[in-house]
Amino acid sequence: MSEMLPVIMAFVAALISIVATWLAVQERDMLIATLFSALQSTCYALIYYLLMAPDIVLVYLPVSVGILPLITIILIKKTERYEE
Amino acid sequence: MIDMVLASAGLTLIAIGVFCDFVAAIGLIRLPNFFTRLHAATVGAIGGAVVPMLGAALLAIGYEPLGETRFILAGVAFTTSIVTMILSQAGSHALARAAYRARAAPLQPITYDALAEKRGDSSE
Amino acid sequence: MTPYDIILTVLTTLLALYLISFALYIVRVLKGPTIPDRVLALDSLGYDLAAFMLILSIYLNSPMMAVCALSLALWIYALDIYVAKYLEAKEVGG
Repeated sequence: MSEMLPVIMAFVAALISIVATWLAVQERDMLIATLFSALQSTCYALIYYLLMAPDIVLVYLPVSVGILPLITIILIKKTERYEE
Repeated sequence: MIDMVLASAGLTLIAIGVFCDFVAAIGLIRLPNFFTRLHAATVGAIGGAVVPMLGAALLAIGYEPLGETRFILAGVAFTTSIVTMILSQAGSHALARAAYRARAAPLQPITYDALAEKRGDSSE
Repeated sequence: MTPYDIILTVLTTLLALYLISFALYIVRVLKGPTIPDRVLALDSLGYDLAAFMLILSIYLNSPMMAVCALSLALWIYALDIYVAKYLEAKEVGG
């Protein structure tokens, strides 16, 4: 049980990230889609952490939680928010 | 001896943090609108994140099998708790201000809105 | 049974309880009616995940992995400020 706990947590996080990606693809409101993408990034950060790769977490977090929503929100502000 | 005392204090703080986190999650589901859910989010940030981080720092100092690098973990945990204590409140306050001014969230179960009088709004 | 085994058993129980509250936060992120609700739930999820990572680095016996928690706590704050600036820019008109 003690060795299986990280594997189970990584499995659950992977399932949640699949749901978040599907909702982000389907969503018509781009701001909510950005938030779903941030949820997926958080799940991936937990998976990388459980796979014992802290260097990848340190690179992945600023790119996917910091810079990607910033650029997406600036783009939404310059263009339009709702699809079609 | 002092190690066991530190580890017991750390485990107690982590248990308090888990309880606060559970209460905050239930509150975030059950409370009626955004401005009341802010309270649950504050319980989740202070009780559910800052207190377990301090507990992790104490537990890391008292937990021998980690080796000499456990003091690094204790320092990182203490720093993260201080940073979280400042940043979570600043972030939720900025979000609440933006949501009130942009009317992005409904105010509906409301008894008294003092800020509307002060700003001179006509809306409820 | 040494005291360290007792500590590990208690930590396993506490980590499992943390996962239940994460599931409740994610429910609010997925179905929250307005945008500030979703951002608030994601924010709380991020801070609690930072605390979870610190406890997990004790549980997995690798103290050098704890640095990720500081990075997560700092960058989740940025997401809050982005959405707040977006919502306020619409009102002010900038």
